[in-house]
Amino acid sequence: MGGALRGIFGYCFLVFMTRIVGRRPGKQMEPFEFVLIFFMGGITLTPMVGDDRSISNAFITIMSIALTHFLMAWLKQVSPGFGRIVDGTPLVLFEKGKRHIETMKKMRVSDADVMTAARNKGITSLDQIEYAILERNGQIVVLQSEDSQ
Amino acid sequence: MPVNVPTKPVEDTVPKVNDEVAVGSDLEFQYRWWKFERIVWTFFLLIVIADVLGVFGRGPLAKAHARSKDGTIDLQYERVERFSTPSIMTVKFGPNAIRDGKIQLWVSQSVIKQLGNQRVVPQPLISTVGQDGILYTFPAASAPASASFALEPSSPGVFDFALQVPGAERLSARVYVMP
Amino acid sequence: MATIIHAVLGYIFLLLSVRVLSRRPGAQLTLFEFVLIFLMGGVIILATMGDDHSETNAVCAVLVVGLMHRLVSYVKSRFPRWDEWLDGVPLVLLEQGKWQTDVMNKMRVQDTDVMAAAREQGVRTLEQIKYAVLERNGSISIIQEKKSQ
Repeated sequence: MGGALRGIFGYCFLVFMTRIVGRRPGKQMEPFEFVLIFFMGGITLTPMVGDDRSISNAFITIMSIALTHFLMAWLKQVSPGFGRIVDGTPLVLFEKGKRHIETMKKMRVSDADVMTAARNKGITSLDQIEYAILERNGQIVVLQSEDSQ
Repeated sequence: MPVNVPTKPVEDTVPKVNDEVAVGSDLEFQYRWWKFERIVWTFFLLIVIADVLGVFGRGPLAKAHARSKDGTIDLQYERVERFSTPSIMTVKFGPNAIRDGKIQLWVSQSVIKQLGNQRVVPQPLISTVGQDGILYTFPAASAPASASFALEPSSPGVFDFALQVPGAERLSARVYVMP
Repeated sequence: MATIIHAVLGYIFLLLSVRVLSRRPGAQLTLFEFVLIFLMGGVIILATMGDDHSETNAVCAVLVVGLMHRLVSYVKSRFPRWDEWLDGVPLVLLEQGKWQTDVMNKMRVQDTDVMAAAREQGVRTLEQIKYAVLERNGSISIIQEKKSQ
């Protein structure tokens, strides 16, 4: 009983925290963001296990986490509104040579981040970018303008 | 036997930017989310400050002090405890608690059960069970004397407990155990 | 109270040690580096949580880590100087057919790492690479010679 409730609570809490801490994982993930996620996960883990180091407690906790995850995925599929809350929406950063300043500031994406994504696609300067989009998984996708190709 | 795979024609369901790139961004939602994010972070900050102060236990605000009017018992405890986390409760005895070189202290059952008393220092000479609690008898030479209880709450909730030197005033207190 | 101090100190300590350990993690994460990150995170978690296995403690610790992260990324976006200190700058590894040996040695990048990144983009030989840049997230981006495309 306790183990299952703790598993569900821990899962929901972590999903919420990672969502609110900001979307910069994925391709933009800096080494430190890895550590951050381990750090948060590990801390949430301690009360889940508590003093009950039995294998049945571990099984029950894992199963409750898996079930909550399954439920979450199902809810996302059924209700687009819920998915939007959990995953957010893609955001346009660059649009035909115009920067969306507020979006970039709020999402803490810098020109250097966009340029990193651009270089990964072999683009050599910012003005060759037609669109830059911050995807829901934190990846920045760059579309090259046609005349520069 | 061929399996009938259900299909649906691909439609242009994802909203576009400038009628060319299908992105499906929703700025209106994003602005609402940012507003919500600010509120949440402020709330988080408040929670952390409250925790530093000890509203949720283990901080200055959680420490409590109680004294029986006749001066037999002086109790230092934590008003807010945490589930399965060790803490110490100290009882100081006044001079009139000592009788025949001994101190007797009755503690309610909740100290043993819900608050999870692990051990008592010093080791009592005799522990007598009964009357909704346990009666400890300690050897004592002179006042001030004190005894410590190592607590480790076994379940979250709100619990009342009481202490008493037989024949003197009873001292009761309430403890909140956080999950 | 103690947990919060430990979490803040743990965060800062992890931030520094990961930064000093160089930028090899991230995109170039090898198994060994994974173990390293797990290990460091785990040790800090043990110290942060101590003997307090309560849910309250975990929630507060995660909130502190989240707030610290928020603060650091705010500082990074406000002051570019701090950004350079915390995340580093992109570094050129290969420029017009010349290896930047000093940079490569200090960042512990080998030519095979560069080739691995190149192959991912379908580049077959070193001669086809015009620039190779070590990005801030640890990935290596490759800019090809124009004629070889």
